[in-house]
Amino acid sequence: MMGRPMYGVGLLQGLRVTLRNMTRRSVTAHYPDVQPDLPPRSRGVIALQEENCTSCMLCARECPSWCIIIDSHKETIPATTEGGRDRSLNVLDRFDIDYSICMYCSICIEVCPFDALHWSPEFAYAEGDIVDLTHDMNRLREWMWTVPAPQALDPGAEVPKEIAAYEAAQSSPEIPGMAE
Amino acid sequence: MNVTEAVFLLFAIVAVVSALLAMTSHQLVHSALWLVVTLGSVAGCFVVMTAEFVAWVQVLVYVGSVVVLVIFALMMTRQPAAGPSAEVTGNRWAAGALGIVAAVGLGATVTAGFRGERIKGQRIGTARSIGDALFHDWVLGFEILSVVLLAALIGAIVISRSGSEH
Amino acid sequence: MSDLLDIVLRCVIVVGAFMTLPLLVGQMEHKAMAHMQSRVGPMKAGAFHGWAQLVADGVKFAQKESIIPAAADNAVFRLAPAVALVPYLVAMVAIPLGPFFGQTDLIGQDLDLGLFFVLAAMSVGVLGSLMGGLGSGNKYSYIGGMRVAAQLMSYELPMVLAAASVAMAAGTLSLVGIANAWEPWWLLAQLPGLIVFFTAGLAELQRPPFDAPMADAELVMGPLTEYGGMRFAMFLLSEYAGIVVLAALTSVLFLGGWAGPWSDQVGWIWSLLKIVVVSFLVIWARVAYPRLREDQVNALAWKVLVPLALLQVTLTTFLVVL
Repeated sequence: MMGRPMYGVGLLQGLRVTLRNMTRRSVTAHYPDVQPDLPPRSRGVIALQEENCTSCMLCARECPSWCIIIDSHKETIPATTEGGRDRSLNVLDRFDIDYSICMYCSICIEVCPFDALHWSPEFAYAEGDIVDLTHDMNRLREWMWTVPAPQALDPGAEVPKEIAAYEAAQSSPEIPGMAE
Repeated sequence: MNVTEAVFLLFAIVAVVSALLAMTSHQLVHSALWLVVTLGSVAGCFVVMTAEFVAWVQVLVYVGSVVVLVIFALMMTRQPAAGPSAEVTGNRWAAGALGIVAAVGLGATVTAGFRGERIKGQRIGTARSIGDALFHDWVLGFEILSVVLLAALIGAIVISRSGSEH
Repeated sequence: MSDLLDIVLRCVIVVGAFMTLPLLVGQMEHKAMAHMQSRVGPMKAGAFHGWAQLVADGVKFAQKESIIPAAADNAVFRLAPAVALVPYLVAMVAIPLGPFFGQTDLIGQDLDLGLFFVLAAMSVGVLGSLMGGLGSGNKYSYIGGMRVAAQLMSYELPMVLAAASVAMAAGTLSLVGIANAWEPWWLLAQLPGLIVFFTAGLAELQRPPFDAPMADAELVMGPLTEYGGMRFAMFLLSEYAGIVVLAALTSVLFLGGWAGPWSDQVGWIWSLLKIVVVSFLVIWARVAYPRLREDQVNALAWKVLVPLALLQVTLTTFLVVL
């Protein structure tokens, strides 16, 4: 243990620290006049790309807070070719996320196999009535325009397999049925 | 009677009335605060009599310290807004009579000694004149007073320490 | 007739200084304390960096409801802010600012016993906090009042002793006389006295680190707990007026008042500058230091400051006699 410092050293240290702080620029962010500098992958609000959604219900099931409510119905697309099979399609009627319950854990986004849910860094959606904190399908679509591009990969990383598959599909002859 | 004497009379009346209120108030805190007014008026009397140094020392020591000490002692020993202030005992008639006798005696002595004096215009109470008087003419009394105060101080320390050891 | 005009003008100037200087110190406190804590302080009131914050505060306090607790002692409760505030206005009358472009010194009234007058006025202001503590009918105020009584009584003595040492060195009790008699080597000779006076003054004003009576983690707000609205604003104004009076006294007694280059013309500017610097020290001490515990407050007064003040008086006696 080092010996006790001379009486009064702590007093001078306190003065020095406060003076140094005063002479440096304050770190205060002047929020309403200046938008905050949010880090990438900030979790602000969840956006829905409904053309990707197949109503598999994985997000509603996995949500720990049970804040996602999904209603859908099946539609059939008649066969395009003679003797072909009718295609069926799930069409969303209702996709609500209740942000008064949502705990922003990201499980729904991680679990969605079709990349229908995305994070957006928007945070200014406070409401006067708690009922308005449940965002419906259209509002969730609006949030999609604020979703930033995915973060760039580190230099030298390998190309993810989705992009590799897409580039392979571009360069090979067209697979029947994808054009529609 | 000129303006000076009128102001002096005013201060004197305020002092006497507030002293009476201090004595008869039902709440000890009010008594202490009326005491402040009394001491302040006495300081005003001193100023009118050109004894400025004594006046400001009166305010500094009496109003600033002694009354604060009195209020402090009050706070330590009493509830703030309790009922009748002092215990009113059967002795109050004897105490009243003694008080009147003392007042008459003191009043007679002071009147006999200072009757006919007028407040003169010259400044007689400056710090320099009091310092001169104190250290030239009254030095013996000053030193004896300091010994008395020292004895009181040592006595207080002894009493407080012996009280805490038991 | 010009005598009367002179008196009226001096009164107006003193009252004007009393109204504006504490607000300036208050605004400096907001901003300096903020930057010392890496934040910016008021920015919205008034377009330029929130300069009108205290004006806005004044308006806010003026329009508040005046609430008196049911258990409070009415007369004492109502009078306490006035008793806390008026003595500082009275003390400002006797504090000189220095030569004003060759004219006589800027001062309300130069008293022969100016130093004693100012010290006596400051000691009367103590009663305001006490009355607030006693008259609120609230146990936190009561405890705060007890702490106020003990603290302010303890620190009267070192303050008066330190001031007395300067008066001895100057040979007069008049503040103008003391400032005129000042010599630069007094900065060293009266240094213990300066430290004692400044520290005791901080404690008299109940400024942090000596704000045990107002410790808001323990006592809500001490004697000021039940006060709100205009009365609270009066107490706050009295605190900042006290800072101005303390800074002015410190600079006149220990820092030479208006001493400096061209002091015949702009001595009053040097005075104001020194007042601002000492006020900044008061604010700096608030930000840098934690609060002293009640027993530490009293121990500091009686075991450190009084002996130091007595030492200073002894030293001054030697220097004056030799």
